[in-house]
Amino acid sequence: MHKFVAIVGTNSDKSTNRKLLQFMQKHFAKQAEIELVEIKDLPLFNKPADKQIPATAQAIADQIDQADGVIISTPEYDHSAPAVLMNALEWLSYYIHPFADKPVMIIGASYGALGTSRAQEHLRQILDSPELRARIMPSSEFLLGHSLQAFDDDGNMIDQTKLAKLAGLFRDFETFVDLTKQLNHANEANRQEIRDLDWANL
Amino acid sequence: MKLVGIAGSVADKSYNRMLLKYIASHFGDEADIELLDINDVPLFNQSDDQTEGDAVQYLKRKIEHADGIIIATPEHNHTITASLKSVIEWLSFKIHPMAGKPVMIVGASYYDQGSSRAQLNLRQILESPGVDAVVMPGNEFLLGDVKTAFDDQQNLKDERTVSFLKTTLEKFLKFVTVINDMNKPEDPGWEAEDLESHGKVETTVEGVDMHAADWVEKAAEKTHAAEGDDYVKLDRGLLTVNQLNYFLNSMPMELTYADANNQFIYYNHFLEAKDMLAARTPAQAGNPMADCHPKPAIPHVKQVIHMLRTGKTDMFRLPVPGMGADKYVMHYYKAMHDADGDYKGINELVLDIMPMVNYYLEHTGQMLVKDPDAETDAVSGASSRSKAAEKPAKPEVDEVSGASADAEPTAEPEKPAKPDVDEVSGASSNS
Repeated sequence: MHKFVAIVGTNSDKSTNRKLLQFMQKHFAKQAEIELVEIKDLPLFNKPADKQIPATAQAIADQIDQADGVIISTPEYDHSAPAVLMNALEWLSYYIHPFADKPVMIIGASYGALGTSRAQEHLRQILDSPELRARIMPSSEFLLGHSLQAFDDDGNMIDQTKLAKLAGLFRDFETFVDLTKQLNHANEANRQEIRDLDWANL
Repeated sequence: MKLVGIAGSVADKSYNRMLLKYIASHFGDEADIELLDINDVPLFNQSDDQTEGDAVQYLKRKIEHADGIIIATPEHNHTITASLKSVIEWLSFKIHPMAGKPVMIVGASYYDQGSSRAQLNLRQILESPGVDAVVMPGNEFLLGDVKTAFDDQQNLKDERTVSFLKTTLEKFLKFVTVINDMNKPEDPGWEAEDLESHGKVETTVEGVDMHAADWVEKAAEKTHAAEGDDYVKLDRGLLTVNQLNYFLNSMPMELTYADANNQFIYYNHFLEAKDMLAARTPAQAGNPMADCHPKPAIPHVKQVIHMLRTGKTDMFRLPVPGMGADKYVMHYYKAMHDADGDYKGINELVLDIMPMVNYYLEHTGQMLVKDPDAETDAVSGASSRSKAAEKPAKPEVDEVSGASADAEPTAEPEKPAKPDVDEVSGASSNS
């Protein structure tokens, strides 16, 4: 059974992105083990000269290291990923490399109709940067619009068409995780490059 | 032109901050650029609203009063820093101070890409509806290899870079003018001035009848106003309320304070109404300005206030005849502003300038003579200041129409010394 880390891309107390991940955790429990991770306790990234990263960031990095893949659910603020998620990704690439060649599935929920389309695009760009080098599942997008109305009182997704799409994408992600294990010929080179990458010269 | 600069980094060492400092000092003659500190801004969290906190309010205030913004962004992970994004989120959550503001983006980075992706990304963020800034198109200024770009004095070494930066900044200054012109709200016009003071400003005392004869006493009670020997800290000094009264009541002129809500809230009360050049009674303090002016004068009063409120003029001068041949009474209406330049009301100064003129003539051995070139036409308000300075004495003016103090402001009667004026119709000064 695959083990995934699911990052809640917000620090808001009330979040339909958290709800979406909680639903997936429950709904796909027979397929995979999904562990939810909160990023709200990370301090603001300030590029410390001593290269010390906070213990909270190291703990998340360790969880990612031990996982087969990462699911990130992002809200959209100002046509982009929220600062708090960008902040987490800054810490998680500051002289540590938990995302290097790690399979990532991007999803997002929004109150409005657009379902975080721009934030997901932004997040792809970030995860593709040389500091992170994640393996983002290509040509897949799960946009949950009107998310306040998307779940019933038990936290189950109401729209069955949406659910079928999510279930399909989740199966694909599991396949992508296995496939990624074969995309291993440049792994060592990638790791070397990312180890050589120094924020002091970035 | 006043600009603010934001460096998108909270790291101790930031080349983007260095770049902004360089722009601020090197182009200081072309624009006044103030660097804003974002170090104390907490990470955005919609569940923990810090909009009213000092760090966000400081940015809001500075940005609102700036004509434009320059943002210098580093690039982390192919995008802008979380610290800069967090600032933008605060400034687009409950408040929107960047809406309509012209923005120029620059960026410095250690390697040759010079923050190209972060700049594009920042553009997209700034144009989102919650932020709604107006980013200058084109003119991308990317400073790559930044570690070798500055000399020991933190000046940019490469002349071509400096020259391109100068061109970019000059274009931005024009862009700021154009965009701010475009965004200027429609002027509601002088007719919209509310002399009944229905609105309120932050100092308006609510719940006390403005028309009441004892408005001062009631409003003082309501606000627990300082009085008597209470100290008041002033710019610059410290006086008791009594001392402040001695001081204001010994000014050789009549002073009146009308606030930005067009409420008459103070005059220096050292004379009885009958002895004043512009009569006021203690019961009038607190009245809306409409109460203190005769109906026919209202449009002219509105025009003057509107000119002062909108900055069309900083001081309006009005000679008010009718006090006899030995007097030349001037009313000066001076706009008052706070440190941020916001309009705070009118200081009206009324005085007879003839004693000064006479003193001058006596002590310099001169006399008033007829100016053969004297223009007898009214001079328009706009030019009144310079004209008044150039032509202090115009003794032979034939006639002045029945000007009340509140006479047509756009055609200000510019007729100083008029010793032999016979009579001026009824016009009370301001009563």
